[in-house]
Amino acid sequence: MSSAAQKETRKAVAELGDKYKYGFVTDIEMERAPKGLSEDTVRYISAKKGEPEWMLEWRLAAFRRWVQMKEPDWARVHYPKIDYQNAYYYAAPKSTPLKQSLDEVDPKLLETYNKLGIPLHEQMALAGVAVDAVFDSVSVATTFKEKLNQAGVIFCPISEAIRDYPDLVKKYLGTVVPVTDNFFATLNSAVFSDGTFVYVPKGVRCPMELSTYFRINASETGQFERTLIVADEGSYVSYLEGCTAPKRDENQLHAAVVELVALDDAEIKYSTVQNWYPGDEDGKGGIYNFVTKRGDCRGRKSKISWTQVETGSAITWKYPSCILRGDDSVGEFYSIAIANHFQQADTGTKMIHLGRNTKSRIISKGISAGKAQNTYRGLVSVYGKAQNARNYTQCDSLLIGGECGAHTVPYIESRNPSARIEHEATTSKIAEDQLFYCLQRGIPQDEAVSLIVNGFCKEVLQQLPMEFAVEAQKLVGISLEGSVG
Amino acid sequence: MLEIKNLHVAVDGKEILKGLTLSIGAGEVHAIMGPNGSGKSTLSYTLAGRAGYDITDGSILYKGEDLAAMPPEERAAKGVFLAMQYPVEIPGVTTMTFLKTALNSQRRARGQSDLDAVGVLKLVRAKAKALNVSEEMLKRALNVGFSGGEKKRLETLQMALFEPSLAILDETDSGLDIDALRLVAEGVNALRDPARAMLVITHYQRLLDYIVPDRIHVLAKGRIVAEGGKELALELEAKGYEHIVGQAA
Amino acid sequence: MTALSAIALSEDRRARAAALVQDRGLPHRRIEEWKYSDLRAVLGEAGLSAVVAQYLIRNLPHGMDVWDLSRPDAPAWVTDNFARETGNTMNAASLAVADAGIALRVPAGMAIDDPLKLDFTGAGHVRALLVVEAGASLNLVEGVVAADFRNVGFEIALGEGARLEHVRICPALDGAVLVEEAAVRIAAGATYRGHFTGFGARLSRMELEIALEGTGAQAHLSGVALLDGRHSDITTHVSHLVGDTHSSQLFKHVAAGKGRAVYQGKVTVAKGANGADSSQTAKALLLGDAAEADLKPELEIFADDVKCAHGAAVGDLDAESLFYLRARGIPEAQARRMLLQAFLEDAVAEVGHAESREMARTELLAALEKVA
Repeated sequence: MSSAAQKETRKAVAELGDKYKYGFVTDIEMERAPKGLSEDTVRYISAKKGEPEWMLEWRLAAFRRWVQMKEPDWARVHYPKIDYQNAYYYAAPKSTPLKQSLDEVDPKLLETYNKLGIPLHEQMALAGVAVDAVFDSVSVATTFKEKLNQAGVIFCPISEAIRDYPDLVKKYLGTVVPVTDNFFATLNSAVFSDGTFVYVPKGVRCPMELSTYFRINASETGQFERTLIVADEGSYVSYLEGCTAPKRDENQLHAAVVELVALDDAEIKYSTVQNWYPGDEDGKGGIYNFVTKRGDCRGRKSKISWTQVETGSAITWKYPSCILRGDDSVGEFYSIAIANHFQQADTGTKMIHLGRNTKSRIISKGISAGKAQNTYRGLVSVYGKAQNARNYTQCDSLLIGGECGAHTVPYIESRNPSARIEHEATTSKIAEDQLFYCLQRGIPQDEAVSLIVNGFCKEVLQQLPMEFAVEAQKLVGISLEGSVG
Repeated sequence: MLEIKNLHVAVDGKEILKGLTLSIGAGEVHAIMGPNGSGKSTLSYTLAGRAGYDITDGSILYKGEDLAAMPPEERAAKGVFLAMQYPVEIPGVTTMTFLKTALNSQRRARGQSDLDAVGVLKLVRAKAKALNVSEEMLKRALNVGFSGGEKKRLETLQMALFEPSLAILDETDSGLDIDALRLVAEGVNALRDPARAMLVITHYQRLLDYIVPDRIHVLAKGRIVAEGGKELALELEAKGYEHIVGQAA
Repeated sequence: MTALSAIALSEDRRARAAALVQDRGLPHRRIEEWKYSDLRAVLGEAGLSAVVAQYLIRNLPHGMDVWDLSRPDAPAWVTDNFARETGNTMNAASLAVADAGIALRVPAGMAIDDPLKLDFTGAGHVRALLVVEAGASLNLVEGVVAADFRNVGFEIALGEGARLEHVRICPALDGAVLVEEAAVRIAAGATYRGHFTGFGARLSRMELEIALEGTGAQAHLSGVALLDGRHSDITTHVSHLVGDTHSSQLFKHVAAGKGRAVYQGKVTVAKGANGADSSQTAKALLLGDAAEADLKPELEIFADDVKCAHGAAVGDLDAESLFYLRARGIPEAQARRMLLQAFLEDAVAEVGHAESREMARTELLAALEKVA
């Protein structure tokens, strides 16, 4: 490569530290729980939320269980031992919580979301997208509530749902991800502070895209949100979450739980654009993203579709899964995971086929660059009664440079002779001749990488709601800038 | 337009071009002929700036500027186009997306504004028809599963689209049957222009029946060993490279 | 117990192996690599008792060197290659316990056509070492005889440009618990071909630890499991330690009755091993409601200029093909057998040694008569 190009590349790499454009901090007065984790912390959070007694008991049971559990170590991720006593488990802007109208929301918060490209004023908001904005531990604004109410759709912070719709919450909370499911899910069950609740009633097609933007702002604070989406018979909802956090040298923990329930003929489409702060180019700082996401296709002919674009976080540990319980139910998992610099991603899915004629589809695109490690870990399990179950899995890895790693760990288990499972995996790199071809046609290096990688990821990007596809494409490019030199 | 002086190029430490000198003026079409291994492709890759082609001596001036100092995309934006012998396949990237991205990148580098999707589509359609590049081809992934003729037609389409000042055609005839060759050559001839220089690189005289050059240079062992008018191609055809190369040595 | 340690195995080495086993205990289903083969459940702690299994050489080709591992003062070709460090619990277990074992060598440059026929017999632990020196070649036919429990620790070393074909055919052994680890080191330009056909046991685990250590080294693994009931586990780990190495794997499994067919295959490409080329295919068919197939084709890649692909599939016989055959007058059972045979054939065809290949075909055909 010519020296000019080399210089250019070096410059691009040097600037990379500034590339995370969501790395700012909002200066706002915060109210926090005392540092550390104990039954008192759990009581504090529950009291702050004005929760009923049953919710407190639920949390305490989870906490008592968690104390006896061991942090999992089977994933291909390495990090220093987390001191769970050296963090805050609740942080909220003093000016909140929960305003009845957007005009009451602290202008600093509105400004924060504007800076993130998420206007909360409804007249400015993206056409047809309702937003719940979660800032550290609390929801600060939910838009289009009234319009959704007219359709019978409940879209509100989960803390509000616990008070206003206790029967619905009691009926479904913890039924997909049991309190004792795993170390991080149990921790979440004890200390979750906010998150989103969605209920779409029978036969209703939710009139707009729903979305939650999660923002971690406070330092030394973990975010533990809990999302519960219930799609009643014959309903449809599409939901998107976005995540950002400030640049900090410390590692911050994000341990969320997402539960989806789809009843007969219902469909839930759940999309994630995860862009938590990934740490700097030397691997300093960044979010530990330890998330449990699971969908239960409880009803006949129900469908749950996960799409994720994972570009952020120092460590990603998440396996959005589908339990295909209802006959003829369908589960899908579309994933792009990009790991650059020192990022570590261990992500994939579980498709548990229990019902007859259940179908699942897994498309995973992993991109590794820098010194990153990227692992796809997945399970397709067909139980004895899952007559005619079908699965197709495609796992592709792309490596950029010789210092990174790409790993594929698929488990395939079949106990029914009429089931068909197909799995394919490939590994490739960005070929020098592909890059040169683009350069020759005048496309700058970073843009060429972005173009080729976006081509590699196309099948997954196509799954995103249109409003977010463009943003995701840009993100794919930005997160790999300077990776080829 | 292009002034190459005493060019020495090494690949993997091995010298391939050993003092090549060549000059092409605006509006001229030059051909470089030579046997296998004479350094033809090395010359085209060096002009386009591919990594690994190290200039150890000599200079390349393009419109008075030092071409060697520019990264490949800058050369492209400034009007250097290389039609490749083996156009590369890029799965998942549709041809149309690629064309739009390349066109707008070049425009941006020249300080022009982006063309929107409709604008690009119009432009592409206008050029595609003459080259028999179908809508369906434009929707497919770039060069993936294209026949040899389709790939070369697409290269020619890009040349028409980007309107380069200096077009280098590297073995454009390889892998083409006579009909495809004629179609591509017509496309190239249509782009002849008083402001544009072309360098046609070929092993065989056949292509030069269709794209008639103003001047022919014979390349052997990294040097120009003979030069002449278009009649030189016929002489080469009749007597073979051995004869001419042998004379020069 | 002391006989082996007095010669090729130092007290120190044996103690380290014993410590590893002590530390880990018997493998069980909560250990990731043993998820589908719960050895502890079938054996209890009895498996680690110091019983000694035996070997039997049924045919020793002319020109090969033999060394009984219980003799003192082993020659260099034995000490250089025997008891290499291992992280494998069961391999360590046989090192810690076995006091019977055999070492065999094909001297450099010697090409041998006559197959070496080696059986493992009896219950307990046993060790074996096979060295095929530079430029030499050999066919190894390994036989398996029933035992309540046997653990074979087999080490194989191929010198530069050497060739070895290793065929192991394991009959149906209902009550047996059989574990074998073959650790194969392959030098530059050498080729190892391994074929493993099995009909299952109460628990059967064949583990292959393949190290491609030199440029141009190749490993080609294939196998068939045909289970009418019983269990079969093929676990492979192919490490491309340097560039320009080549590996392929082709495994076909059929499980009927309460059969459980397991394939776990891991391919690792080390950092800088550019030009590594690996393919991995594992397919299984289930013929009964109680049968189970578990596949885990794993990739672990630390270099970017590689060609690595894997494919896995579980399914039923193709209904359209079955119908076609029947429409042409072939009875269903026969049509199924034809399709099953066709399904298995490409893996069997990988066997180069004609006599072994025919033997595998014959036994598979006989077994197919019973399942389909």
